[in-house]
Amino acid sequence: MIAPVLTVTGAAVHFRQRSGFLRKGGPVLRAVDGVSLTIAPGETLGLVGESGCGKSTLANAIVGLAPLAGGAITVAGRTVDSRSPDSLRTIRGDAQMVFQDPALSLNPRLSVGAAIGEPLLVRGQARGAALRDRVAALLTAVGLSPDHAGRFPHTFSGGQRQRIVIARALALQPKLVICDEPVSALDVSVRAQILNLLVDLQRERGISYLFVSHDISVVRHIADRVAVMYLGRIVETADRRILFTTPRHPYTQALLSAAPEPDPERQRAKPRRVLEGELPSATDVPPGCAFSTRCPIATELCRRTPPELTARPDGAFVACHHDSG
Amino acid sequence: MSAPVLKIDRLRLEIDGAAVVDGLSLSVDQGEIVALVGESGCGKSLSALAILRLLPEAVTLAGGRIMLEGRDLSGLDARSMAGVRGRSASIIFQEPTASLDPLMTVGDQIAEALTAHGKMSKQEALRRARDMIVSIGISDPDRRLGQYPFELSGGMCQRIMIAIALICGPRLLIADEPTTALDVTIQAQILHLIKELVSARGTSVLLITHDMGVVAEMADRVAVMYAGRMAETATVDDLFRAPKHPYTALLLASIPHAGQAPKSRLATIEGTVPRPSADDAGCRFASRCPLAEDRCRGVAPPLVDHGGGHLAACWRSDDVVALRAAA
Repeated sequence: MIAPVLTVTGAAVHFRQRSGFLRKGGPVLRAVDGVSLTIAPGETLGLVGESGCGKSTLANAIVGLAPLAGGAITVAGRTVDSRSPDSLRTIRGDAQMVFQDPALSLNPRLSVGAAIGEPLLVRGQARGAALRDRVAALLTAVGLSPDHAGRFPHTFSGGQRQRIVIARALALQPKLVICDEPVSALDVSVRAQILNLLVDLQRERGISYLFVSHDISVVRHIADRVAVMYLGRIVETADRRILFTTPRHPYTQALLSAAPEPDPERQRAKPRRVLEGELPSATDVPPGCAFSTRCPIATELCRRTPPELTARPDGAFVACHHDSG
Repeated sequence: MSAPVLKIDRLRLEIDGAAVVDGLSLSVDQGEIVALVGESGCGKSLSALAILRLLPEAVTLAGGRIMLEGRDLSGLDARSMAGVRGRSASIIFQEPTASLDPLMTVGDQIAEALTAHGKMSKQEALRRARDMIVSIGISDPDRRLGQYPFELSGGMCQRIMIAIALICGPRLLIADEPTTALDVTIQAQILHLIKELVSARGTSVLLITHDMGVVAEMADRVAVMYAGRMAETATVDDLFRAPKHPYTALLLASIPHAGQAPKSRLATIEGTVPRPSADDAGCRFASRCPLAEDRCRGVAPPLVDHGGGHLAACWRSDDVVALRAAA
């Protein structure tokens, strides 16, 4: 077996909410609570879930932007230690991020060329004419023109800015790019351009993606494998085709049923399962299965004992007491 | 057939003399859900605001007529217009938490809509508010009425907004991206609720959205806008099955579909939306359209009827099928 690019083992990220005397107490928010996953070279893992499920926190933890309360993360075989500047420096050569809003990801006072070239300059990998050539090649790779290097972010459209952010993420030739809602702020027609670009770059360079999104149809399009998160835990992971044809966890089923299909005939034919209630607070996670408060098939067992994520014969992993395989 | 609840006729909205909405005509029948779709800046939200005369100061109503329940709204003074809002037509917005008053309890806000419009006592209004939130499926109504918006989730706030919008029994509900800020399982709850209200009360809905999934789920009829103009309108099935405008066809092809091979190439629309300008000869989509020819750049195409209420503003409608097959 080829060594995975990313290995997450039992990762936990907890935040203590400050309150009370001297702001010392407060409940613990379990944003990520015992998550394990791997990504192979050249693979795209889609990570889906609703707001507050911990998917962005997990993405941040992978590049050391959120400290781990437990478990371990390795990128290309090297352990991520958010407290060690050396570790972070190494990791960020291999793992880069692309965020939702490209306008907020770019320094408005830095020319596009300076922004894209900065990682290379900082690490002493290129300067002068060589740096200019590298920047020109990166701009071309993301479908922009080398002439754009001298311009500033505000002169570009949202889609072009996201291309600039992607070029910057690629500068150090990372093995893994973490895309956190990379197309959610873009109009539909521009969204397709960025998705096409991400697919092309993966084919050319063999990059792996962790693709975090709330948009089911986008994940179905781009992911090889999908992990579904609910309240800080992974409830199901499976190959794309298996997950979308035979979702096993009741939450996955509800999520897929709730996502409207851009096709009136398919939409009418779809099984309806409107989920009651809302996400519980992450400071007050139900004791058993986190989903038991909204689950249509929950029993006493579910409310008492959290189900383990266990393997199924087709390679899927499901955390549900009532899924027999 | 009864007269449409809402009829917009050649609406024109301008900013500094440039048309941001240019000749929009649209009608919504009793109990019908009409979706007005398009990408950001196409003028769909401004058109919605124009109906209730809630336009920002920079935008002027430069032409056209808006008829609500057979009444011409353009002749109304500010006072009569205030009577129209809430009673004949209501609007809900994308950000429910921003639409509610943070310093007032939810119950008072729903009741206010009643007391502001008629001579109803506060007590009676609160009783009606309670009935309303029960009817939209909110449990524990007495506790909810006493709560403030910050105590409620986004989905619950949007339910409250719907309660406020519907409490005076308007014939038309304008919903401007009502679920865009909500999670998908909560979106499903809100869409389900709007559909139920439509069938129970016969309310008409003008649904403004950019999400083709929401359109497919909700709409009876669809109007597609591009750069201030109507590109195409049809029943939801006709529009998705056989679009007659290249913009609609490409927009639909750019969305990942269930039947599609993973990571396959999605259709794209190159270029950017033209800025509104005083000089707008020709089709506004021509600069980005793969089918564009000289005629398209010279003369704006009229809306042509293709039968069954399917209208498209394109000189080359007949070639859209081939474009779609290639996309």
